Amino acid sequence: MKSLKKTIPIFLFAFPLLSQAQMPVNGFMQGKGKGAVALSYNSESYEDVYLVPQKVNGVPVFNKVTVQSTNLFATVGLSKKLDLQVNLPYIKSTGQASDAVLNNLGYQNERKGLQDISLYFKYNPFNFKTSNGNLALMAAVGVQTPLGNYRVDESLQSILAIGNRATQINTILIANYKFNKGLFLNASGGYSARNNNVPSAILGEFKAGYAGKKVYVDAYIAGQSSSNGTDILKEGFNGVFPQTRVNYSRVGVNLYVPLKYGIGISGGYSSYIAGRNLGASSGGYGALIFSF
Amino acid sequence: MNKLNKFLIIASASIIGLSSCTKYSDQLPTIAGIAVSNPAFSTLKGAAIQGGVAVTLSNKNPNDAGGNFTVFAPTNDAFARLGLTDAGTLGVLQNSFLTNTLLYHVSNGNLPGSSITNGGSSASALTIPRKFIFRGTDKYINGSKILATDVMASNGTVHVIDKVLLGTGVNIVASAQLLSNAQVFKSPELTFLVEAVVYSGLAPTLSDPNNNFTIYAPTDAAFKAAGFATPAAIRTLTQAQVQSILLNHAVGTGRFTSELNGTTATTAGGGTLTFGPFTNGVYTIKSNGITTPANMVIPDILCSNGVVHLIDKILLP
Repeated sequence: MKSLKKTIPIFLFAFPLLSQAQMPVNGFMQGKGKGAVALSYNSESYEDVYLVPQKVNGVPVFNKVTVQSTNLFATVGLSKKLDLQVNLPYIKSTGQASDAVLNNLGYQNERKGLQDISLYFKYNPFNFKTSNGNLALMAAVGVQTPLGNYRVDESLQSILAIGNRATQINTILIANYKFNKGLFLNASGGYSARNNNVPSAILGEFKAGYAGKKVYVDAYIAGQSSSNGTDILKEGFNGVFPQTRVNYSRVGVNLYVPLKYGIGISGGYSSYIAGRNLGASSGGYGALIFSF
Repeated sequence: MNKLNKFLIIASASIIGLSSCTKYSDQLPTIAGIAVSNPAFSTLKGAAIQGGVAVTLSNKNPNDAGGNFTVFAPTNDAFARLGLTDAGTLGVLQNSFLTNTLLYHVSNGNLPGSSITNGGSSASALTIPRKFIFRGTDKYINGSKILATDVMASNGTVHVIDKVLLGTGVNIVASAQLLSNAQVFKSPELTFLVEAVVYSGLAPTLSDPNNNFTIYAPTDAAFKAAGFATPAAIRTLTQAQVQSILLNHAVGTGRFTSELNGTTATTAGGGTLTFGPFTNGVYTIKSNGITTPANMVIPDILCSNGVVHLIDKILLP
């Protein structure tokens, strides 16, 4: 256990907050004074859009959308039981509308900028040792708020909006069971309260993986279910995308390999398998992580 | 561990539950949803976005007690007849004309296919009426063949048509001037014809609400092919000559292509026009002064006092 904690700096936050497809906090604590800084690059794209009642091929106006993000992430253990983490993404969203269509509508094929900064505290009050492992129960609370001045009110141009301009207060409960041999199971659920008429949502994730001395790997399914909101092109839709009811299920894998001097590399891939009012994107990331 | 297992099972079930509630196949799409999801309507989708009606057709119709619209939806092939082969090509149109044209395809309330009757009419959201015509086993709205009826949407009904419906709401002369003043296409059209009408003194006749004509309107390219370099060059002819030529393009009572009846017609000038067979929504027109017949470029434009068909040749008497 102790050796695992030393060799496996738990980073796992090399994902764009735009899709929020993965829980923003994981089931491992840093330890007092320890932490990690990660720089990640993520690229995902979609041509299909999950609408109600069906998935449609071809993104209106833009045909295909690619979202690339660069994230700066840092986490540190303030105490044995309390972690702090911060994430700041820079996002570029690119469409493939023809020049003629852009000209007709006065649109552009790109929106980019700083998105939302997020700050989380994660608290681990309970640990239950068992004969073959340890169950950790945690609670996290975080705030995410727009830092950049990106826009969401540009009619269909805002299909390329890099965020939803809501401030969110996210509360997450986490149960993480780690077997002594390195396998772990993680379940988390939470509630994301959002302002600016963006529907609040329930978040959930189930993850299974292996955290060994030389490698970390996991696979997960994550989901969001919004409490209300309109459907795109359905009754009540007023052309404002952040007000739509966004649900999804996404599956993915993460891999981390520690190298030397606290430096490690990470990569992963994930894809939506179901959704409502969002692009059916798939994509991967790579990250460079420095642990201390 | 038992408790843990139980927790994990509940947790995973709840996440899978999130995905299972994303099946909505029992729901009907809206009219806008039909246009967006069907590849045969991709140009209509682009037109609805550019014309600013996509959100309107996503919602209940506030002007109908039941909240419904009926939309006659032109296919991609219908738009392609006008040279509008994809959303990008819609830029040749003025946006106000595009919006009005889309509204001409829309009416309030559900109009099921079974309610469409021969000779009946339906007021559009643009207020300009549309006429239903049965020809053999085919049903038409104006000159547009109805390819499919009763595609049900959550906010109304869609019928599929093979030509874009065109209605100006103004008289024949004013309609031609909309084109020549670039209020339809961004590039002027019918500039030679408008010049000829004004010069000939026929404008009052063609704008008279008590008259009703079918007009075969030669395009600018038709005039150029006949040797007129500019609209002003028409004035090298006498007024009487121009009047005589123009009257050979007018037939009493406005008729859509779908109403073609017989193979000849006598023009307002006393000449004879000979029509080819009605094929794929158009027919050819031959006058005595030309050897090969004229083809229709844009047929079935409804004006307040007649129907105009744009043609590619001057019909010399």
